[in-house]
Amino acid sequence: MINAFLIFNNNGQPRLTKFYTQLDTAVQQRLISEIFTLVSARPSSSCNFLPLPPLLSPPTSSSTSTQEHNDAPSLVTYRHYATLYFIVISTATESPLALLDLIQVYVEALDRLFENVCELDLIFNFETLHAVLGEMMVGGVVVETGLDRVVEGVKAQGRVAKRPVNESRSGIGMQGIWAGR
Amino acid sequence: MFEKDIYQLIRGLRSHKGNEREYIQDCLKECRREIRGADMDQKATALLKLVYLEMFGHDMSWASFNVLEVMSSPKYLQKRVGYLAAVQSFRPDTEVLMLAENLLKKDLNSPDKTMMSLPLIAIPHVINPSMANSLLTDILPRLSHSNPSIRKKTIVTLYRLALVYPETLRPAWPKIKERILDEDEDPSVTAAVVNVVCELGWRRPQDFLPLAPRLFELLTQGGNNWMAIKIIKLFSTLTPLEPRLVKKLLPPLTSIIKTTPAMSLLYECINGIIQGGIMEAAEGTTEGDEVARLCLSKLRAMLVVEGDPNLRYVALLAFAKITSSHADLVSQHQDVILECIDDADISIRTRALDLVVGMINANNLQTVVERLLRQLSSAGAASEIGGHPQDRGINAGVVPMADDDDDDLQASIKPKGQKSAQAPPLPEDYRASVIERILEMCSRGNYTNMNDFEWYIGVLVDLVKQCPATASTGSFNSTSLTTAKAKQSIADKIGAELLNVAVRVKAVRPDAAAAAQSLLLIERRDHHFGPRGSGNQGVLAGAAFLAGEYATMLPDPEAVLTSLLQSSTAQLPTNTLINYLQAIPKVFSVITNNERKSWTTSRQSNTVLLIARIVHFMEPLTMHPNLDVQERAVEYLDLMRLASEAVSSHEPCSDTSDFVEPPLLITQAIPSLFSGVELNPVAVTALRKVPLPDDIDLDAPINVNLQMLLQQAEYDAEFVDGDNDVWRFYNQKPLPVGTFYQKSAGDLLNARDASSRTSSYQDTESESFDQEAIERKKAERAERYRDDPYYIAPVERRSGSLTPMHNILRNSNGDQELDVDAIPVMELKLDDTRDVASDPERMRRKKSQPVKKPKRHFEIAAEETIDGGDENMPTSYSSSPSKPAISRGKKSLLEVDSSALSSLSLTDVTPSGGHISQLEIERRQAEEQEMANALKEVERLRLEMQRAQEKIEMRGDLPEDGTIVKRKTKKKKTRVVDVGAETGVAEDVQEDAAAVKPKKKKKKKSPAADDETRAVVDDGTFDDELPAPIAKPKRKKKRQVVFDEDGTEEAP
Repeated sequence: MINAFLIFNNNGQPRLTKFYTQLDTAVQQRLISEIFTLVSARPSSSCNFLPLPPLLSPPTSSSTSTQEHNDAPSLVTYRHYATLYFIVISTATESPLALLDLIQVYVEALDRLFENVCELDLIFNFETLHAVLGEMMVGGVVVETGLDRVVEGVKAQGRVAKRPVNESRSGIGMQGIWAGR
Repeated sequence: MFEKDIYQLIRGLRSHKGNEREYIQDCLKECRREIRGADMDQKATALLKLVYLEMFGHDMSWASFNVLEVMSSPKYLQKRVGYLAAVQSFRPDTEVLMLAENLLKKDLNSPDKTMMSLPLIAIPHVINPSMANSLLTDILPRLSHSNPSIRKKTIVTLYRLALVYPETLRPAWPKIKERILDEDEDPSVTAAVVNVVCELGWRRPQDFLPLAPRLFELLTQGGNNWMAIKIIKLFSTLTPLEPRLVKKLLPPLTSIIKTTPAMSLLYECINGIIQGGIMEAAEGTTEGDEVARLCLSKLRAMLVVEGDPNLRYVALLAFAKITSSHADLVSQHQDVILECIDDADISIRTRALDLVVGMINANNLQTVVERLLRQLSSAGAASEIGGHPQDRGINAGVVPMADDDDDDLQASIKPKGQKSAQAPPLPEDYRASVIERILEMCSRGNYTNMNDFEWYIGVLVDLVKQCPATASTGSFNSTSLTTAKAKQSIADKIGAELLNVAVRVKAVRPDAAAAAQSLLLIERRDHHFGPRGSGNQGVLAGAAFLAGEYATMLPDPEAVLTSLLQSSTAQLPTNTLINYLQAIPKVFSVITNNERKSWTTSRQSNTVLLIARIVHFMEPLTMHPNLDVQERAVEYLDLMRLASEAVSSHEPCSDTSDFVEPPLLITQAIPSLFSGVELNPVAVTALRKVPLPDDIDLDAPINVNLQMLLQQAEYDAEFVDGDNDVWRFYNQKPLPVGTFYQKSAGDLLNARDASSRTSSYQDTESESFDQEAIERKKAERAERYRDDPYYIAPVERRSGSLTPMHNILRNSNGDQELDVDAIPVMELKLDDTRDVASDPERMRRKKSQPVKKPKRHFEIAAEETIDGGDENMPTSYSSSPSKPAISRGKKSLLEVDSSALSSLSLTDVTPSGGHISQLEIERRQAEEQEMANALKEVERLRLEMQRAQEKIEMRGDLPEDGTIVKRKTKKKKTRVVDVGAETGVAEDVQEDAAAVKPKKKKKKKSPAADDETRAVVDDGTFDDELPAPIAKPKRKKKRQVVFDEDGTEEAP
């Protein structure tokens, strides 16, 4: 299963955090920064799989049976799109190559919803990010991989707001998050 | 009053570059105020802002009640914010969760499907066992909801429910099964079910065998690659249980491999074939051979494909899984795999390294090691510039910084970004792991694959230079503590390995000694250690010991001694220093002990000079803070002083033609100190195998009258008479020694009956001249060490080369000596392997591996142990029971414990379930009975004690004290009950565990036991941020202990 889905940008600032296990906020932040450290050091030519960050590495090097191992996260997969890193932490029951495709589906779904999505969309509409994720996976298990159905599911929840057109005119940009009401 | 909405908050953050922290604090204050207001809109907005800030690490646990308020809003958008906040911020210790139960129930029954999916998505994040129990009835009906999206979400939610509350599966599984068997079901729902079954599958594959036909159908139907991947994964756990599946699966899998354009499916097919043991199962048949060949050729193609490192990575993973069974097949592809060792990507390199370790054999060992060495040395320069260019956000928590330029942010994220493609420098921990792997590969199986030990010694010396520096600055600061320790030990490991080779392989000892010498020589330091700081000095400890032990083989002992005595030596770490101190007298004795050469003036002055230098070196060390260093320094310092006496007073010959015997202290006494038993490798477990002699009773007090004697001693202390040697040794100043020094030590040695000895070492030395006494001492020592594992098999003491003294003894009465020496061996035999054990040569021959290189035959000493069979013995029975406990305790952070599932059988719901539950009821009854018995026993004990107390009371005849006594009784009473109950429970649990274990597959745990463990979990394990792990029956006992500890902690 998938243990966590994270998005952060090239500076390590989180844009979406979703942990399918309840974790302390401080621990979440540590994990994010550990993964960021690992991921930011990699050139684009390298593969999309990370070694486990120190926080996640198994407590003892040996003595855990393979069976037991299936419960613990063993795979960190990431993809880098422009300014953003998409990270999936998962157990061995997930297929590494399929996870890469899953991230792709997620990004394509965002692109459909926001039309030429960019980081700003993600910053201002983080609720939508959660909604898309909720359509694709529940409790760490993938429930939908079809792009159309994901988009359809999110749209059914209400209008997706586009990012405010002009940043500086904050007074006018009051259409806000409750636009759907 | 204007409130900020979420957009304004984000904009504000972006415009407050530099002082985000203050801005955030202000916002948090605002939110606190707003969230308390009555306006629901405002509340929801404030909550959304909090959720946003939580993403950056700002705690919002204080708002959990407000989260509930917003969740209960009738408006969908507000409700959605509330649910999002609950998912993001609720932790296992959030208490308001109980209040949410009704709300969740209500929303689950909402007529609106979007409203309904909110709780379905949120429940997996917040669920706990009791909530699962009560929500189950509301979630179950959603499985047959008309909307497929609701159905699939429900299935997954039920799965998460089952993880914390396995009973869920009992009513839910038949319905889930219905969904997967229903051919008209929406494909995405089927896919979701397959995903869930795949998660459940590896835990309890036997329950899902009945689904195999349907899964097979789904697999062959094709269409959905995502689902096919999961089905193949599931099948790979099923095939070991049902071998017939192999035959059935081979054709479709082969055709998928041949035809599919999807790499992920192709890879998972191969992976499934490997993991499911299909390769082994089908071995020999034509299809099996074909599929094996096909898999390997596809994997090879993935390795060589240009431009896709991901394929290379996963192919290496798959190869690594094959190595354990088909190492030969894998090594056929050695060429491409070795290419990956030098891949620019560290992840790929690490995988390749893992793989290579597995496929090593005598033929490719040298190639592989040479290659790794080259990699290490060529990357040396790169690692100097190392470090991470972007280490922002590592030390301080990430702050939602104002973003630099919006253009960048507005760049579409669709096209893949370009980063500089420069090769990453070798990180230090990778470096360390390469070295570790090299050592592992070379030494595996007692050097099975090693053909050329001279080459290996050279490799080891080369590796020293490649050791990662100890002092790693910055970068991975969270791990620096642990890795620094590991790095420290890398150099140590090389040193130990060098020593190990020298000890085990006699033939290369001269080479090893030479290597040790070159490592030790100060002038060569830079050459061997390079500029990488002090990280690799650990090797010096091993080298110094080696140089000392095999000092006779050193090419240039004088130079080594000079290096050992360097003033900089004193600054070495204590562990190294200890070995240096030990080596110094050994090397010294080798330099000076020549008894054939005449004692000339020049020799005398040389020796005096050497001694003077040693004394000069050791004197300051007698004040060393480390006790071990101090002790050794003091010991050898006095020895050297004694030697100095002997040397300076021994008259050299004035004429070169004369032969004057050198002082015996130098030629015989000191060498004999270091020429005991030859150093042999001893198995780690040997000590444990030493049987306890029959006549030893460890429980018996050594001296029954100890107490009395101690008291006696106290009385006697004042009247100690001067004849008491022990007392004098400790309490009198060693004046006699001083007077002794005025005589020559050599004279003393020659005097056979030096009646006035007082100093201890003179004692032994002069005595050592007496042959009979030596013999006697030897026998005594042998007797003493009979049971000492470190003296296991010294049958033939052939350290003769080092010990002229020993030669003398051997020549004089060798037979007798051998007899004496054989004693320990004879006594240590445990069974019929006795004769083997008593003959180390033979044992060695037996164990030494067939050596392939013809030009030189190396004999590798196997580890000595008593039984030979290490396997029968638990390698560490003292630590093994606690080990799993530790690993359980430190469970991985994100781990979702599904172990509880394995204790519940889905087959229960089949008609045979009735019978089983009958059994279970009986068992539960038995448990209750036992508990009742235990309580009765406690009660009985209590009554007995009470009666005893009453008796005392009666005898006491003091009515006014009665109350006090009574109170005491009461206290005792309750305590006894407590203890009794506890032991009762413990017994019960133990009994329970024993009862469940054998029947685990067929029977479910009793609810009583469940409750118990759940209670434990609630009390204990919840304080780390992990999901509630329901204990397997096996582990129950341990959990009970946790519970008890908690209880005692709370008590005071």
